[in-house]
Amino acid sequence: MKPSSMPMRSAAMDFFRDHITYVIFLAITLYFVLFAPHFASVSTASAVLRITAIVSVMAIGMTFVIICGEIDLSVGSVASFSGMIGALLLDQSVPTYVAALLVLGTGAAIGAVSGLLVTKLRIPSFLVTLGMLSIFSGLALTITGTRPVSIVDDDFSNLFWNGSFLAVQAPIWWTMVLTAAGYYLLHQMPYGRRVYATGGNAVAARFSGVRTDGVKIFAFVLCGMTASLAGLMLAARSTAGNPSLGAGLELDVIAAVIIGGTSLFGGYGSIVGSVVGAIFIGILGFGLLVLGLSTSIQEVIKGAIIIIAVSLNRR
Amino acid sequence: MAEAKTSTSRNAIVAMQRISKSFGANRVLSNVSFEVMAGETHALLGENGAGKSTLMKILMGAYRTDEGRILFAGEDVTALSLRERIDRGIAMIFQELSVLPNRSVAENLFILREPLAFGLRVDARKMVRDAQALIERYAFSLDASARVGDLAFAQRQMVEILKAISRGAKLLVMDEPTSSLTIHEEETLFRTIGQLKQNGIGIVYISHRMADVLRLSDRISIIKDGRLVGPLDPDSTSIEQIAAMMSRPKGEASLPTVAAPAKRPPAMPVGTPALEVRDLATSRKLSAVSFSIDPGEIVGLAGLVGSGRSTLGKALFGILPDVSGHITVAGEPVRPGSVNGAIAAGIALVPEDRRLEGLVGGRSIEENLSLPRLSDFSLAGPFGPMAKARITALFRQYRDDLNILCRGPLQKAQELSGGNQQKIVFAKWLAMKPKLLVLDEPTSGVDVNAKRDMRELVRRTAGEGVAVLLISSELEELLDLSDRILVMAQGLITRSIGSAHDEAGLRALLQAEAARQSSARAQGVAA
Repeated sequence: MKPSSMPMRSAAMDFFRDHITYVIFLAITLYFVLFAPHFASVSTASAVLRITAIVSVMAIGMTFVIICGEIDLSVGSVASFSGMIGALLLDQSVPTYVAALLVLGTGAAIGAVSGLLVTKLRIPSFLVTLGMLSIFSGLALTITGTRPVSIVDDDFSNLFWNGSFLAVQAPIWWTMVLTAAGYYLLHQMPYGRRVYATGGNAVAARFSGVRTDGVKIFAFVLCGMTASLAGLMLAARSTAGNPSLGAGLELDVIAAVIIGGTSLFGGYGSIVGSVVGAIFIGILGFGLLVLGLSTSIQEVIKGAIIIIAVSLNRR
Repeated sequence: MAEAKTSTSRNAIVAMQRISKSFGANRVLSNVSFEVMAGETHALLGENGAGKSTLMKILMGAYRTDEGRILFAGEDVTALSLRERIDRGIAMIFQELSVLPNRSVAENLFILREPLAFGLRVDARKMVRDAQALIERYAFSLDASARVGDLAFAQRQMVEILKAISRGAKLLVMDEPTSSLTIHEEETLFRTIGQLKQNGIGIVYISHRMADVLRLSDRISIIKDGRLVGPLDPDSTSIEQIAAMMSRPKGEASLPTVAAPAKRPPAMPVGTPALEVRDLATSRKLSAVSFSIDPGEIVGLAGLVGSGRSTLGKALFGILPDVSGHITVAGEPVRPGSVNGAIAAGIALVPEDRRLEGLVGGRSIEENLSLPRLSDFSLAGPFGPMAKARITALFRQYRDDLNILCRGPLQKAQELSGGNQQKIVFAKWLAMKPKLLVLDEPTSGVDVNAKRDMRELVRRTAGEGVAVLLISSELEELLDLSDRILVMAQGLITRSIGSAHDEAGLRALLQAEAARQSSARAQGVAA
């Protein structure tokens, strides 16, 4: 507690401890570069970034929710549902941009409902969003009776996945744009400070005039919107709305956020960390694939490394 | 006044002999001897920080004593651990009760030693039977199969007490047992204590309410500045006498009165009061409080623990949901029950619990300072970025102004000392230029120098025309700072007095008001 008892020599140690996941990240990347064939190449890098774009985008929204001290388990099924809605709207000849905005609005509305249930009815977010997960994975299957809906709109596919601009592919653009926007919102704007205060000490935040309920609801709205954006990207990638596209993604997304240094108890975390966490998971998967390991053993190694990374990152 | 006997009486359950304890250079207890007989209620009085809890922690075994020894039922237990002492029969009844609300009375009583049938299965019927037998032995009014969560607070307390004595406790330490009870429940507790005494159980009774203490106890001891005074015989003493003993003699006050304008010129009544409150009430604690404060005036709010002082502060700040009544700040009405409304009107609250309510400990000093007025630091409207340079400038201003010791604006608030943390909370509200500053125990848990700085700061703030409502349990502080003092008891402001009283006089007055209100209520309930 005494400021004088904090020696300066610990500053380097502090830095090392605070960034331990980056150290592990670099070590593992280095391992793949040395031992995986043709790993160190531009094509590998862009492949990894494309693979991780969806998790990155969702992790950015999730970061706000987790820093608030809440969780959103419904993002995977919201992504599936959004992809389906998007495909159906395009199927009805709704203009590309209108369809995209409608889908994002749907994601925002779903987030708002979760947020309202969590704050106004005081139901733990774990339960609310577990329910939402079930509801929207069920709805995604029900709308078309489990049939995928194919997308023939090239503008849509180019906008969300296949296109490129300035020699950079669309999913990488989306990652960069969302990272910048999330960074601005969380680290530069007053709203971000309120998020940290709400997750750090909700009582003190209320005693300072912060409307903690509103802060949390908006965090869920952001998370819902990024989930539905990811749903659009998934649909564009497979040129179809498929009701199970996003299934299980929530686990990768939460893992990415936690690996990135955000505390599951709220109050700490960063946008860049979450994106790095997502890329870390991507590199791990890709590297193990290149090494020729089967997908089943990949899962085991991935899980173990996630646990090790998080346990070293405890506060 | 009878002096404590140095020799141990034959039937003392516990005898703490010549106990001394220091934390670093700070001597908390010196040469304290305290004993409790079988079937005796021995009351322990003292100000916050006088050393009561340290003495009790030494008794329980949570702290080691530096000198002296502790005899329990004739056996030297000084070297034993907390666990071993509990096994021998020393128990503490905590303020926040440690019962399981979702389980039955019987299950709570027999937790971890449930009667078993055929070795493995819990014999639920036997458990209820045994529990009921236990309840009847002590003539408590409890149902063994009732769910604890459905019971009134006093009955939960009974479960807690019964749990302790059924495990063989011979000495119970009760710390402020009445603080959460209603009038009726207090009577229940007092009857319970009577039953325990008849069964030969010794009780250490810690309380701020002298009227209760005089009524209940067989002997009274007072701890003042780490020394024990007494024991006294309750029949031959009075509230006034005890109050005088608890107060520090004049000229020996812990703080040198600052050379600064100790008595500021009395605040000028300038027509509109800074704060005007009419019929402010909450559903539970506060009933129809009315008062006003002039700009630049420091009004002290005195009362015993549980009198509703903090509730009043929180009600003014709008953080309680069920507030009714009228609040006017500088002539403008404020909607009760809205923190943002209160802040916009210029009401600031430095809350009682710094760690829980005052600071976001894991975030930086700078972030904590700017939290109440983040929107003001936004460049270019609501979507603009934060003006970080301006926040840092704010930090520098208050660091220099309030003499905050820290490494820099980005240091985490929780790394600072108590006094410096409190200065941060102060600064965050001073920065929004309040019209009314409500201070709830602003100097609790800070060291002597920080206390002096705080008092100076309060005077300076009032000197700039801010109205101050000062809630404090340290009467000397109230008398030193306030222009006048409002006395609260049982959720009412019962008197307004000038600051001409001395500490003992004010203490006796508080006790008398509390006793008067409490008996008035009891009659009201009975009628």
